Amino acid sequence: MSVAMNKGASDTRTPSAAPAPASGGRLRSTGLKHLLLMLAAFFGLVLLLLAVDEFRATQLASLAYYIPAVAGLTVLTGINGQVSLGHGALMAVGAYTTGVLLIRQPDLPYLLIVAIAIIVTALVGALVGVAAARLHGPYLAGATLALAVGLPGLAITFEDLLGGEPGLRIPSPTVPPWVQDLYGNITGDRLTPRVYLAYLGGALALTTLFILSNLVRSRYGRMWRAVRDDEVAAELAGIDLGRARVLAFVVSAACAGLAGALLAVVSRIAAPTGFTVVLSLSLLVAIVIGGLGSLVGAIIGSAMLVYLAPFSIARGRDLGLSDVEAANLAPLIYGVVLIVVMLVAPRGLVGTARFAFLARRAGRQGAGART
Amino acid sequence: MLEVKDLVTAYGPVLALDGVSLSATAGRVTAVLGANGAGKTTLLRTISGLVRPKAGTVMLNGEDVTRSQVETMVHKGMAHVPEGRGLIAELTVEENLRLGGLFRRAKDGDSELARIYDLFPPLKERATRSAHTLSGGERQMLVVGRALLAHPKLLLLDEPSLGLAPRVVSQIFSLVRDLVDSTGLAVLLVEQNAKSALSIADTGVVLNLGRVVATDDAATLAADEGLRHAYLGF
Amino acid sequence: MQQFFDATLSGITNGVVFAAFALCLVLIFRATRIINFGQGAQAMVTTYLALKLIQNDVPYALAFVAALAAGFLLGAFVERVIVRPVETGPEINAVIVTLGIFIALVALAAIIFGNDLAAFPAAFSLAGLEVGGSTIALRPNDLFTIGAVLVAMAVLLGLFRFTSLGLRMRASAFNQEVAKLLGVKVGQMLTLGWALAGLFGSLAGLLIAAGTPIFPSYMDAVVIFAFVAAVLGGLDSFLGAVVGGLVLGLTSAYVSSYVGSELVTLAALAILMVVLLLKPGGLFSSSVARRV
Repeated sequence: MSVAMNKGASDTRTPSAAPAPASGGRLRSTGLKHLLLMLAAFFGLVLLLLAVDEFRATQLASLAYYIPAVAGLTVLTGINGQVSLGHGALMAVGAYTTGVLLIRQPDLPYLLIVAIAIIVTALVGALVGVAAARLHGPYLAGATLALAVGLPGLAITFEDLLGGEPGLRIPSPTVPPWVQDLYGNITGDRLTPRVYLAYLGGALALTTLFILSNLVRSRYGRMWRAVRDDEVAAELAGIDLGRARVLAFVVSAACAGLAGALLAVVSRIAAPTGFTVVLSLSLLVAIVIGGLGSLVGAIIGSAMLVYLAPFSIARGRDLGLSDVEAANLAPLIYGVVLIVVMLVAPRGLVGTARFAFLARRAGRQGAGART
Repeated sequence: MLEVKDLVTAYGPVLALDGVSLSATAGRVTAVLGANGAGKTTLLRTISGLVRPKAGTVMLNGEDVTRSQVETMVHKGMAHVPEGRGLIAELTVEENLRLGGLFRRAKDGDSELARIYDLFPPLKERATRSAHTLSGGERQMLVVGRALLAHPKLLLLDEPSLGLAPRVVSQIFSLVRDLVDSTGLAVLLVEQNAKSALSIADTGVVLNLGRVVATDDAATLAADEGLRHAYLGF
Repeated sequence: MQQFFDATLSGITNGVVFAAFALCLVLIFRATRIINFGQGAQAMVTTYLALKLIQNDVPYALAFVAALAAGFLLGAFVERVIVRPVETGPEINAVIVTLGIFIALVALAAIIFGNDLAAFPAAFSLAGLEVGGSTIALRPNDLFTIGAVLVAMAVLLGLFRFTSLGLRMRASAFNQEVAKLLGVKVGQMLTLGWALAGLFGSLAGLLIAAGTPIFPSYMDAVVIFAFVAAVLGGLDSFLGAVVGGLVLGLTSAYVSSYVGSELVTLAALAILMVVLLLKPGGLFSSSVARRV
């Protein structure tokens, strides 16, 4: 989707760090900063998981699978400008691949299965991306929407393999013995599969964020932004538009595949009803709220997706709504939020905050803030 | 009829108009001249309301219309023929013409149309053809005819001679002059072709980089060689 | 042979409804260059409104008309209040806003009307007509459906071709700036365009619902089909929307009949991809330059 994003919904610039002598130097120092940040975050996660109960741990595991999905989508839509309404379907690909393998090849290590799921989804993403590379604006949105609505139907066609309407019951992966021993030695407790998944998911999510943040700052990120902002200029600069777009799609699909792989084992089921249009659109809400193109925003958006639903269900019950009704409060809020954010703060939460920060800084430097 | 005072219009940080003042009177042609980028088109677009000014006023018959909607300006008797002529290509010639008079809500649509066809016979021949099939000169006839159907009191013409053969240009210009003389129309004529414009104008205003550098009778301006060479290209 | 014949008939009936919905997408696209992804949800809401009226003993015809009126007003409201601020900005903002409308309305309907299937009555008989001694897959209600859409299209065509209001709307759609310079109240024309689209969408929603169970997401697939139909025809073309609608209707009927109903949406997606990759402007794209 080629869109002029000058006034709009994306964040193009991050606050610049102190100027570095060469871009390579800056990349390395920021990369190091991020690595340390990730390690610190993982350490914090470990502490958190040791402190909370199993229910909260499961919630954190959900957060862990939303983060790569939302982060991947924000790279595709925010940085590269392609609107995809079908990433829920890509998550389904990852989830179903994982489910089928866990059921039929139970001896394979879970991480290998995750890797396969990522690759399969990336391949599907490549296919979709090749088709999508030539589409712009509403055409791309419509095509991916059709994918989101239509792909779950395949689960019904291939009922034997994919479980049809009721879906696949997915066994929980067993905790590897060495992890169990390590955990037992440190805490003296038994590590349940659910909590193990929270650790694993957290590690994978943080790794994804690390990789994406480096990609975004690298020449790939610049290439994607260039294609988004001005196709003609990008082509003149020697960028292969199609290749850049497909690559962005593949990267975001791989993230969605990872998300699906985690989703499958955390929710223990892969069924068409778990991958409706609402899922794809929720991902969109998450990236819009955070601010298109902001990885920090992706984390915030994911948190909203995980914590808003139970919160709103509880509030709904207080208001006297039935469970089914209360369950729809969250999507209602999503829809309203999408509208309000676009009308009031198209840069999203993080984007608006960042913009205000930059504007104030420029004002203080006497440059005269310009809108 | 039209009083523009200290008009300032900006596109982002760029000042296209930097304090422009001029006036247009009934029964007279005021030519607005200057090189490309002088701000002439922006001036007309600001007057008609397509663009909001940052500062300054536009008065039409004593009424402050600086921030009026475009549609309101049209109802008050202003017609603006934009740069590039502003045909609606997908509509037929007749549909384009009819549009010009629609807002008046008068019942005389057919007779008015006939009047314009008399004025511009080539349009009658092509009445049911799509507007994009017209030649440059015919398109200019179409938009002037369309503007006339609005019974305007003030006509803003933006570069009517663009892309037209000299013979056609002088036809259009003498038509404009005749209308002004016979109906008391006020015309603000933006032109790069300063020579032709000054030949039918009463007053001339020369713009450069968003500012007025000269306002005078057309004849005086045409005679001022220094000015002509500096700003008008002849 | 019978299967083919039956599928063809139901394909035409469905196709006509898709055409109506595609028309409303084209109406909006021509006016404001936006695809209203929320249109299906708007139609769904007005259909539920009709259902509630019918359940409260309001005669079918009255409820039908009330739903159409509601669709008209809702369309106007959505344009004026929600979409107007994003009409001029980046495309992506408008896409997101219409998706917001989509999600919000479906959720709202689920809260107010519940998620369960609700039976919606048909205006006329749903028993297959007897032709030459055997029953065909054409029912009196289908004839009503086809007739209603044809009448609505004729009215729309008449409005656009022969009235000055229609001329003003077309001018606003083709060239907003020039239309303004001709004294056309462009804003009002845009709102009217969305209102008419809302009416058409509601019509399609009511016709699709006849005799089938409705639920908050029942229009999702219709939006996809109508979108593909509109793209197939060329987003600027009314005739294209009609032809596209029929093609999609027939395709979905054949796929449903011979392959499996769950693959119908993917079939539509396949058609979309073929069109976009081979002839992106659609079958009836106008080659007229938009600016002169």
